[in-house]
Order: sequence, then C-alpha cells, then structure tokens
Amino acid sequence: MDLLWLVPTLPLAGFLVLLVAGLFVSEDRPRKWFCGIVGAGSIGLSALVALMVGMDYYAAGAEPTSYFLWTWMEVGGFTPGIRLYLDGLSLVMTGVITGVGFLIHLYATGYMWDEEGYSRFFAYMNLFVFAMLMLVLGDNLLVLFLGWEGVGLCSYLLIGFFHKEPENGYAARKAFVVTRVGDTAMLLGLFLLFREVGSIEVQAAMAGARELWPDGSTTVTIIALLLLGGAVGKSAQVPLQTWLPDAMAGPTPVSALIHAATMVTAGVYLIARTHDLFLLSTTAQFAVAAVGLVTLFISSFTALAQRDIKRVLAYSTMSQIGYMFLALGVGAWSAAIFHLMTHAFFKALLFLASGSVILALHHEQDMFRMGGLWKKLPIPFASMLIGSIALAALPFTSGFYSKDAIVLASFEYSSVFWAGAATAAFMTALYTTRMMVLTFFGETRTEPHDHSRINMWGPLLVLAVLAVGGGWYGLDAVSSVLPDGGIGEQDHFSAVAILTMGAPLLGIVLGYLIFYGRQPSSEGAPLAGERRLDRLVQSPAGNAIRRFWFGGWGFDVLYDRVFVGPFVWFARLNKRDGVDFVYTAAAGITRGFHHLVALTQSGHLRWYAANMALGLLAAFAIVLVALS
Amino acid sequence: MSAVAVPLEHVLFVAAVLFLIGFVGVLVRRNVIFLLMSLEIMMNACGLAFVAAGARWGQPDGQIMFMLILALAAAEVAVALALVLQLERRFSSLDIDTASELNG
Repeated sequence: MDLLWLVPTLPLAGFLVLLVAGLFVSEDRPRKWFCGIVGAGSIGLSALVALMVGMDYYAAGAEPTSYFLWTWMEVGGFTPGIRLYLDGLSLVMTGVITGVGFLIHLYATGYMWDEEGYSRFFAYMNLFVFAMLMLVLGDNLLVLFLGWEGVGLCSYLLIGFFHKEPENGYAARKAFVVTRVGDTAMLLGLFLLFREVGSIEVQAAMAGARELWPDGSTTVTIIALLLLGGAVGKSAQVPLQTWLPDAMAGPTPVSALIHAATMVTAGVYLIARTHDLFLLSTTAQFAVAAVGLVTLFISSFTALAQRDIKRVLAYSTMSQIGYMFLALGVGAWSAAIFHLMTHAFFKALLFLASGSVILALHHEQDMFRMGGLWKKLPIPFASMLIGSIALAALPFTSGFYSKDAIVLASFEYSSVFWAGAATAAFMTALYTTRMMVLTFFGETRTEPHDHSRINMWGPLLVLAVLAVGGGWYGLDAVSSVLPDGGIGEQDHFSAVAILTMGAPLLGIVLGYLIFYGRQPSSEGAPLAGERRLDRLVQSPAGNAIRRFWFGGWGFDVLYDRVFVGPFVWFARLNKRDGVDFVYTAAAGITRGFHHLVALTQSGHLRWYAANMALGLLAAFAIVLVALS
Repeated sequence: MSAVAVPLEHVLFVAAVLFLIGFVGVLVRRNVIFLLMSLEIMMNACGLAFVAAGARWGQPDGQIMFMLILALAAAEVAVALALVLQLERRFSSLDIDTASELNG
C-alpha cells in the first residue's frame, strides 16, 4: 500500500485550502472553527497515514524503499526525480514531525484563538509541515534542499507572524539571513558533491563517495565541512546560533514546532543522512563533535542568566542540539537521533506548557514577574515539571536514556568531551531548576487567568506521557540505517555512568539551594540575599559575568561590530551605487550635448535667417575654394 | 528688339543689391510688416534676375518664372497678413522677437 505520498500531500492540501479561506477576510467563529479543523486535521490525518505507512513498512520486512512520484526536470543527462525514500531514519523523523506536529497544531487552535490572522497562521504551519516532510522524505539532495529552504521560509514567516511589531520583523530577517549563511555553504557542498560523484540521489551519492574516496581525502573533508556549515546554520549551533533566541518573537506553538521539535533538528538529520561523508573524514567528524560541545557549553551557561522564559528554552534547545551534534561527532549516530526524538517530546511539552503560562499571564514572558503559579496553573505546572525532569535527564525519563547514551559515548571518544558534556548536564539541571522555581514557586507577582480547554491541555497530557515514556523502548528503527547499528547496552553502574547520572541530580539540588525561597531583585539580578553566594553574585565580577551570559557570550555584539556594522557603513557609502555611475555618466553627457545644441534653437526668426545666410555663404565659399 | 541693350552684368548687379537690401531688412527690422516688405524686395530681386537671364538667352522661361514668383508673393501676403493679425492679437505687438516661445 503506497500511501506515503499522502503524508506530505495532506499538509500541502491543508495549506492550499487555508490560503483560499484566508481570502475571505472576516474572522468570525465558524470560520475559525473551519481553519482550526483544516489546519490541525490535515496534520492529524497525515500522522495517521504515517502510522499506517510505518506499520506496512515493518510488515514488509523493514526494507528501505523508494517511491518514484515524477521526474522533476530533464536537463541534459540530469534528471532529478521527486522521490520519497522510506527507511528507519526518515520514518522516525516523519513520525516526530506529524505526531508532535499534530499535537502542537491542536494546541495552537486554542492558543491562537484570540489572535489576528488565524487562517494565515495555520496556512504557514501546514506549509511548514509539508516542507519539513519533503526534507526528511526526499530521496534526492535537491528535494532535500527544497524542503530545507521551504522550512527556512516558513520559519521566517512565522517568526515575523506578529508583524505589527518592527522587532519581530527584525528577528525574522535575522533568522533568515543567518541561516542563509549556512545554506550557502551547504549549497556549495552539494555542488561539489555533484561534481565529484556525479549524482545527488542520496544513496547513489553516498555509495559513490565511498567508492571514490575509500580512504578519505581533502575533497570529502571539504564537502562534509560545507554540509556541516548548513547544518550549523539551521540547527543554531556556534557560530551561527545567534538567530534562535530572537526567533522566540514568534508565537509559542511556532517555537515548539519549528524552533524546538523539528526544523532546528534538520541539521542533525542532514548529518545522519549523509553520515558516509563524515565517516570518510575524521576531521569533519571531529568538527561536528567540537561544534556540538562548544554550543552546548556556551548555551547552557547563557540559559542560566536569562529572564525571558522562552529564551531560557531557546538556549536550552541549542544546548540539547549541541548534544545531538556531539553524539554525531563521537559516532553515536543512533543516540543522536534518539535524543532528537525524545527532545522533540519534552521540549515541545516545555514550550507548550510555558505557552499556557504566558497566555494565562496575558503574554508576560519575564520569569521575574511570574512566581507562585503551581497551585493556580496545575496542568501547566505538572507538564512543565515533567518536561523539566526529562530535560534535566533524571533517571527513567526519556531524556535520561538518550542523553546518557550520548554522554557515555562521548567518554569512549575522549574524556575531555565527556567532562564537557557532563558539566553541561549539570548546568542544564541548574537552569531548569531556576526556571521552575522562578516561574512556579515563591510569591505570586502576576495573577493568572487560565482559560485553557481540552484542545490545549490534551496535547500537554499526551506529550507529558511521551516525555516520560518515550525513551523506554529505545529506538531500533534507525539501527539498520546508521553505521553504529543502534544504541548499545549501557552499563549504568560503572563509575563514569554514576557520575554522569549524578551530575543533573547535583544540579537540581544546588539549584534548589540557590534559587528556592528567594525573590529576584528588581534590577534583574537573579537573587538578592545575605548569604555568601548571594554576595558573590552581586559582586561586580558576578554582575559582569551575568551580563556576559545574558547577552549570549557577546556573539550578537561581536557580529554587529564585525559584520553588520561594516556592511551598513559600506551600504551607506555606496548609497549612490558605484556601478550605476557609468550609466548615469553616459546619460549626463548626452544631456549636456542636448543642452548645448538646444541653445541654437532660440525661437528668434531673424537669428535663424542670419544663420541660413551664413551657412549658405559657407557653402559657397567651400565650393569656390574647391573649384579654384 | 535691338534697342539699347543693358548688359546682363548690370542687371544682375542691381538684382544682387536689391536682394542684399531686402535681406538686411529681414535681419535688422523687428516690425513684421517691414519684414514682409523686405521679403517682397528679395523676391522681386530674384524676379529681376530671372527676367534678365531670360532676355539674355532670348527665352520666355525667365518671365514665366516671374509670373510664378508673383503668384507666390500674392499667396504669401495672404497667409502672412493673417499671421500678422494673430501676432497683434496674441502679443499686442508687431515685434517679431516677442514671438520666440518655440525655443529649446
């Protein structure tokens, strides 16, 4: 039963229907119902079809299959086909995208109810799901790139969804431009791969690469590094990470779907999909691991200093994707995809729960103005608590299984990487505790008004179950696709494993001791008190570090100085366009001659007559001179 | 026809002088009426040259040309006087230099 084509088609159809529906401008209740049903329903159906396809896939013996739809174009000998490729990896990704995507859509029907542009929102969201599915299902790097750019476009549109605020437009442009830097690198990588191997069908290209460079080469390293550039841009890793925190300007369901669960993990998918290239180049693989480690280190410290709850989660997303990159780099491919899946569950849950809090507080995102909400918002509190313990990787939650696999695998790679990963796990627990304490405990600073209905807390419930239980059964689906053959059995009782497990517990205990029971001071310091630790935080050095972390380690300032500033300066300098000068000069010279000649046309009849006579005389003179 | 034969050169000299007088008149006079009269003198200078040339060669073509010039002069006067009236009406002046709006 070849229903796979329906999986991306349904969201596309939903997008088209909503696009037409959006033409009729009234925003009344029946129309909102219609938009909600079409928007969430198309993804729900798509998820059902994906489930059926998955069952068929296993019933047929889990053989990777390629479905040919049609030939995209024929140029010379180059005939890229629109093909869908189903194997364990794309199946897992499809499941996450449609499943988590459906829950987020369902949630969004409630969250966005009072917002303007209801149908526009769901149209963009459906288009996004379509593009993301094309990205993961494409059997062809060109189709993959189509999806890649499609999700980038939808990300841009949805970050700037509240387009009446100029800052949101700025954030959207920033996200688009920064990821574009990575996309350019990726495109160059694809060109180079095509030139060397002669194919952009994923499987053929990978086989060709293995054949062409059995022992690796500089070329394959360059290709892999260029692809890594694309992945780094899309997945918000250092040094292209600056767009993600600003992307939180979008509505919270967008943050949950695009900037936590699916799009930002596209880079991880890309590297896993082209893993042959990275296996051929130890340099590139080391670069992947290093990027992951640096990102997860930087972002987990940054998350500790944020005030905005969504920015905490954004930095947390960056650091969790850093874990995935680390896993890819150290060769724990399956663990990376496993963490991708569990992260999609618990981070979507955290975002949606924080969305409920934000909505109940009338779009208040500053954690220092929250507090004491646990009794008043029990469902968001419970969801957020479950998401947090999964994020902090407490034992028996989904995050524990995946993160443990990564951290332990990094120990086998290098103890330095393990130390970094374990420290970041500790920091993760610390900032998660801080977030929970600031948001839900202490005294109430803003009174909540919760109006959420089943379409909002239902998804929270399902995601909470997934966040806890999503990791219990491991992830066998990808074992046949990825080179490490699935997640190995870990020894949870070795010294390293116990240390790894203990790091988040230590973080939580320390976080409780530091943050619990104290109010943040008004000028933004995270705590105000008389204890020694408080004095340390309040000291000038402590304040400087806090500001440094708050600003994301100065990357924004650095990029403003190094790239944006000179660019704007040069743009100002070149306002009149140097190249244009050639053309304006040509026009100017012509005009000058015109004015010169126009002087002779004075309108004075007698002047003309005199000139005629002079001309005649001149003609006579010439003739006479010529004759004599 | 063998009366006193005026040499052709004399007649042509007179015609050239007349033509120059007319032309200078066109250049220096600003009143349209005088301008037209100067034009008339120039045309008559041409006519004189034609007639003299015709007489010199003993052919009627010169006189026929003069007849044509007369017809031309009559037509010119008819059109030009209408223009003069318009000029007077539009600019309240007969100065040809006031009608110099068609300039570059």
